[in-house]
Amino acid sequence: MSSSRTDTLVDVTMPQMGVSVAEGTIVAWRVEPGDRIAADATICEISTDKIDTEVPAPVSGVVAEILVAVEETVEVGTVLARIATGDLGVPAPPADPDAPAPPADRGAPAPPPGPTNGAPPSGASTGNGHRTASDRRRYSPVVQRIAAEHDIDLSAVEGTGRGGRVRKQDVLAFIESAPEPPMHIESPYRPDPVPAAAAPAPAVAPGGLSRMRRQIGEHMKRSLETAAHCTSWIEVDMSRVEEARIRLGLTALSFVARATIAALREHPALNATLEGEEYTVHQDVNLGIAVSLGGDGLIVPVIQGAHELSVEGIGARVKDLARRARARELSADDVRGGTFTITNPGQYGTIMATPIINQPQVAILDLETVVKRPVVITDADGNDSIAIRSMTILGLSWDHRALDGAMAAQFLATVKRLLEGWTGS
Amino acid sequence: MSTMTYLQAISSALRDELRADDRVLLMGEDIGVFGGAFKVTDGFVEEFGTDRVMDTPLAEAGIIGTAIGAAVVGMRPVCEMQFADFISCGFDQLVNVAGKMHYRQGLAVPIVVRLPSGGGFSGGPFHSQNPEAWFMHSPGIKVVAPSTASDAKGLLHAAIRDPNPVCYMEHKHLYRRVRGEVPDGVFETPFTARVARAGSDLVVITYGAMVQVALEATEDLDGAAVEVLDLRSLVPLDSDAILDSVTRCSKVVIVDEANSTCAAGAQVAALIAEKGFEDLDGPVVRVSTPDVPIPFSPPLEKAVLPGVDRVKEACRELLAY
Repeated sequence: MSSSRTDTLVDVTMPQMGVSVAEGTIVAWRVEPGDRIAADATICEISTDKIDTEVPAPVSGVVAEILVAVEETVEVGTVLARIATGDLGVPAPPADPDAPAPPADRGAPAPPPGPTNGAPPSGASTGNGHRTASDRRRYSPVVQRIAAEHDIDLSAVEGTGRGGRVRKQDVLAFIESAPEPPMHIESPYRPDPVPAAAAPAPAVAPGGLSRMRRQIGEHMKRSLETAAHCTSWIEVDMSRVEEARIRLGLTALSFVARATIAALREHPALNATLEGEEYTVHQDVNLGIAVSLGGDGLIVPVIQGAHELSVEGIGARVKDLARRARARELSADDVRGGTFTITNPGQYGTIMATPIINQPQVAILDLETVVKRPVVITDADGNDSIAIRSMTILGLSWDHRALDGAMAAQFLATVKRLLEGWTGS
Repeated sequence: MSTMTYLQAISSALRDELRADDRVLLMGEDIGVFGGAFKVTDGFVEEFGTDRVMDTPLAEAGIIGTAIGAAVVGMRPVCEMQFADFISCGFDQLVNVAGKMHYRQGLAVPIVVRLPSGGGFSGGPFHSQNPEAWFMHSPGIKVVAPSTASDAKGLLHAAIRDPNPVCYMEHKHLYRRVRGEVPDGVFETPFTARVARAGSDLVVITYGAMVQVALEATEDLDGAAVEVLDLRSLVPLDSDAILDSVTRCSKVVIVDEANSTCAAGAQVAALIAEKGFEDLDGPVVRVSTPDVPIPFSPPLEKAVLPGVDRVKEACRELLAY
């Protein structure tokens, strides 16, 4: 496709997808050179820092060149492609004050000339003010509210009302059809293990770790090589939390998260990042929650501004992020900017772990199973007795480059105090 | 429990109250010797005497005014308007004297005004009206409207025992057509709404005779689960029950037998628009009598009053929305 001298070339670059992400890999191109593309339409798919995402075209125009091949990994900011804007080779009409009024869509690029370029503009054209059928869909208040509560994209819901209108029943049926996987189960009781298959077939073709596995591996190894890992544990009586948890219908994770946030506000040295020699203490708590994706791996979506949330609010956000993580619906914003991370593999009955710090953060808290144990408790008069209490062991891995053991211990003691004296909020 | 008609339930409540409380007395046109135009008080004068079952002149202002005076000095009068339509003659006493007495003088006016209301029997413009909304708009007066025999008795007991003036809307069309189990003895039905049939796809909100129409119209509506909410009390209006139904069903049809403009259902629609907006999955639909007097002509009357077919059609339309 020839370009006239009025063309302007706009760069499409590898986006910055997270604080610690330096590079990304092209997974697929959606266009070829010469294709027209509308602003915000997907130009390519990339994979960065555990997130697979799409790169939108910054402008409408014609793809002039593609500079990075599929499977190639490049640094953030690298130019991936160029889009030509302008009048795209169609000669501009001579300026004529007596000419009839221009067509309404003159502001948008003219369509490509004739059959030489067969591909129609992809998706819904938004450049010329025409609206597609799905744009015209209107939703009743209750449908919008339910969709917002369950984070549903209503354009994906089939409508059975008049003229294809989405009724309340439709959106409820949509939710029904996609049941949420259960969150962590708190009970330590487990059914007998299923006997292992005689010769387990490899889940992945020999020699081929999945891309996510490779990336997790690189992250973990880099963290172990970078940070001076130490792990401290503290035993916490969760009896009051258990009572509140059952009453509010939340998981223990929400309470531990809430207490952790409050403790981070008291000990901001742990709500920090260390990159090279640059140690930054953060004001806001953006709390990462490790979510298992089953055999595929693990992802750490971030609750932005978690310090502003109640325990119920945290519970709702954790549930939402976990659901979207498992549905592979996380956006880049959902994984960026974490200042502290909690991991919670407690559902299998394990009681202690040495978690690996999520770089460039300086600490990570591990919540395992809550179990009933006989413990010695001392009453107000100093009398000891043995009681059955719901106990857990919180593990904190911390970076000895940024912190010392006393600070980690003080932080854990604060978390313990907040959980054991849980009074709501 | 015993089975009674709606009319027998009203008689039973009056008789029980007269027997239980010396302060209770009845006043109205032809309620004594004749036993009432609809025979609600048939035989009462023999049991309770003319001092407690008083035939009055054809003067509604006089009936209500006298009742107010009696109530202020400690009696519990129950006035019968021969037809609800005639209340307009007693309007000033009810609205300006009874309704405002407590606010002006701090005095309770525990009167009940029985209003045989509604059409459906070719009674024409003076004998078929549903004037309840007039009194909803007038502070200080409670308004109740039973649709079943049991509620007819329980609401009348509660109305007589209430310290406020209460308009008791008894629907003439239900008098002998509705029959049901009624608990024995005195019992008070609270001034709250009742779920006449539970459902989840759509709710028909109504009261009085239209409850029966709504139940019949939605009994088998292509398998839809249609709720019917019987308001029972218009003042106070049970907004919690209304909004609960809206939350559950998200689609609402409101049926009034009264003329449409500013009817009780208009107030319900306003409440839903204001407080239930986020639960709505369609427009609030009203079915009511157009703003015309009720005609004598049977086919014309049938055409203006909301019937089973009109309610059915409105529900079908909204369900399909």
